[in-house]
Amino acid sequence: MSTTTDCGCQPTPATYTVKDFRSNLKPIWCPGCGDYGVVTALYRALVNIGRPPHEIAFISGIGCSSRIPGYTTAYGFNTVHGRALPIAQGIKMANPDLTVLVAGGDGDGFSIGGGHVPHAIRRNLDLTYIVMDNHIYGLTKGQLSPTTPRGSKTPTSSYGSIEEPVNPLLYVLAYGAGFVAQGVPADMEGLANLIEEAIRYPGFAFVNIQSPCITFGEPDDQLKAQKTRMRKLAAEGHDPSNRLRAMELAQAYGTELYTGVFYRNPNPPITYDQHIRDRQAELQPTAAEE
Amino acid sequence: MNDLIIGMAGSGGDGIVSAGESLISALSREGYYGILTKSFGSQIRGGESSCRLRVATTPVLNPGGTLSVAIVLNWEDFMRFGGELPVGPDTVVIYEKKTGVEPSEVPLRVRPAVVMAVPMAEIAMKAAHALQAKNNVVLGLLAGWFGLGRQAILEGIRRKFGKKGPEVLQANEQAFAAGFEYSEQHPLGADYRMAPPVAVGVKRQVTDGNEQCAAAALFAGCKFFGGYPITPATEVMQHLQKDIWKHGGSLLQAEDEIAGIASAVGASYAGRKAMTATSGPGLSLKTEVLGLASLAELPLVCVNVQRGGPSTGLPTKPEQADLFAAAFSSHGDTVRPILAPISVEDMFGITVEAFNVAEEYQTPVIVLSDQEIAQRKDIVDAVDTSRFKLVERLQPNAQELQNYTRFRLTDSGISPISHPGMKGGSYLAAGIEHNEAGAPSSSGEMHAKMNDKRLRKLSPLLQRRDLFVVEGNPDAAIGVIGWGSIAGVVLEAVRTARAQGIDVKLLIPKLIYPIAEGIYQDFFRSLRHGLVVEQSHQGQLHRIIRMWTDVPKSFTSMAKSGANPITPGDVLQRIVHLSSGSASAPAPALNPTH
Repeated sequence: MSTTTDCGCQPTPATYTVKDFRSNLKPIWCPGCGDYGVVTALYRALVNIGRPPHEIAFISGIGCSSRIPGYTTAYGFNTVHGRALPIAQGIKMANPDLTVLVAGGDGDGFSIGGGHVPHAIRRNLDLTYIVMDNHIYGLTKGQLSPTTPRGSKTPTSSYGSIEEPVNPLLYVLAYGAGFVAQGVPADMEGLANLIEEAIRYPGFAFVNIQSPCITFGEPDDQLKAQKTRMRKLAAEGHDPSNRLRAMELAQAYGTELYTGVFYRNPNPPITYDQHIRDRQAELQPTAAEE
Repeated sequence: MNDLIIGMAGSGGDGIVSAGESLISALSREGYYGILTKSFGSQIRGGESSCRLRVATTPVLNPGGTLSVAIVLNWEDFMRFGGELPVGPDTVVIYEKKTGVEPSEVPLRVRPAVVMAVPMAEIAMKAAHALQAKNNVVLGLLAGWFGLGRQAILEGIRRKFGKKGPEVLQANEQAFAAGFEYSEQHPLGADYRMAPPVAVGVKRQVTDGNEQCAAAALFAGCKFFGGYPITPATEVMQHLQKDIWKHGGSLLQAEDEIAGIASAVGASYAGRKAMTATSGPGLSLKTEVLGLASLAELPLVCVNVQRGGPSTGLPTKPEQADLFAAAFSSHGDTVRPILAPISVEDMFGITVEAFNVAEEYQTPVIVLSDQEIAQRKDIVDAVDTSRFKLVERLQPNAQELQNYTRFRLTDSGISPISHPGMKGGSYLAAGIEHNEAGAPSSSGEMHAKMNDKRLRKLSPLLQRRDLFVVEGNPDAAIGVIGWGSIAGVVLEAVRTARAQGIDVKLLIPKLIYPIAEGIYQDFFRSLRHGLVVEQSHQGQLHRIIRMWTDVPKSFTSMAKSGANPITPGDVLQRIVHLSSGSASAPAPALNPTH
């Protein structure tokens, strides 16, 4: 168990178990959904981080995956579609001592909420943004999402999609995120480590999780297929401090299933929340002045 | 004279608005009260600009109607302002001689009392060798002819130009002196000099509604502001960004209106008092997140500075037409309280009240300000903050945290609210309907209970008589209602009518929504005629009152689209008409221009 303070928090001696982070709400996800693996990996990561649940705020948007905060014992906020990031930033600004996690689907983050992503990244608050990318709108029963491959036939594209999907990895790298990773629930241990590392990164951290939709997704995306398709970046010899190489590898989104850390800024800049603390300290009248 | 209305118009570079600002500051130091309103064409810089300054020895209620004095730097610009600068038979018109118009041929519909052509540009060139000094010539003329704060104006010129070097300062002082001298050499014929100030030595300031809003927010303990620049609300953010850090708070200029309010909702969830400010188009964008705050029961103050709409509309002009949007633009059964200030001074108290209501009832509150209150400059007495009580949200006690139930169904409808960091208080806040513990629920029974809780908790608001101004004989048969920046107009009209012996009473709601049915019903009891005065084409308050109350048989609306001033004279005329007992005959038409 680690007691490092990389995340800006002061972890109490790690005495937590998965049970401390699991709520008594039963997930509504379909049996076989990738999101079960995500929440389990998250519990494990939080055990390792070692902060008490009440010091964690977990914010989500709308969609199947956005139900996730309710399955933890953290302070959860299941908000409106696409607005998890700005709400989370307000929380972190109002109380920088909290560990703030943000989660949602690919539609929440890259379609309806897409306009907030570059700004959250350029501000660089110490947040962890987890996207459960299933290439489909699951909650509304299978329509095109921003990451659905071209040509896909869905209830809103009976003749096949005629638009290019977005590449979330390349987007966030281009926007300047300091930590960018991709994981799969099929590799539970790897995913838990990635989430933990993302939380520990002092700044905006992005984890794209290829979390398959068992009901509307493609067979190639399912957990079983992930096991054979996944290629670990570490095993490929990728140096995560190399941003340009990370962007090159990210080009393969949609064809190759890379997992691991694409990019980690070796010299993390001062976070927005730290700037806020500094400014408040500088401008607030001292006790003597008051 | 003890009440003077000066209107000035010119091109952007003439410095007319700057002259108005100098004058109101000087008059404030002298001990007068006043209101300065500015009006521009839609250009960002340049184009026509104008201001009106009403000055009096007692607190000024509204910018007034017909001008006592019109200063015309060029006729084309002056005429563009139409009804905003109305000239009447008693007006003194002073215009730039260089315009080449003969005093007998000025392009006005009425014959003013005095028409004076003054070579302002020529005086400025002679005295200061600079055309830009023309506005100080104007100040000299006003100081001379109307007895307005000569020493205080000079003091202001020294403050303003002192930093720019002795030459610039001297030139402007000379321009002022030359204008003053001209006035002495050319008497107006009658005495138009202002009476000396009455309330000398009272601490006062020149301020506007947006500034008061920011000051009040900090006083109320606001620790977070999230917003996006929009006319005419931007100054709220501009003031706050200077000071909020000093109070241990923070501010986010967000990427859009939605992120602005969303970040504020986040900060409120984190346990801090939070605010956003916007105008009509921004309010439209914010409505979904307002709904989230209603359902998640999170306190939030959303200031909406109304301008002409819909869409981009008239961004620089006032209107009271966002009432429907503020009250009804949420899906689902929800009520969010709406408060409206009645003056610049009142903006402070209303903003504090908005925070109190938001925190007490765990609800978003909309403050409906408008462009006039937000941006006009008023001379007001220093705020006595000791008369305000601050309310904090109800937090769970140690015992309640043993088995915390966030949305417990209490009698009052208010349940203790925790925030992240509070041990034992973890819960799921959500936009989805939930049970008492906060777990998502799609039960119709639970939804009905929660709806009832969320509406029940607001019911004490309906008894808040302190949020209504009532004046006049309670048994009067004529009653007038006005709100927002129109309230000051109605107040003056009713007082004038009463002074003329007309039995009329007045109701000014500051709690605009929910409709406090009982308070209106009490007011209506004695009425034969009710009249609602407001600045919207549809008469939005008039219509909303009718949705909730049994109105008098004769209950009429006096409504004008935004940017068309409603003057105390207009309202008085309508009251006189109602009192003459001929309410069934057609009322005098409102003239939208002059």
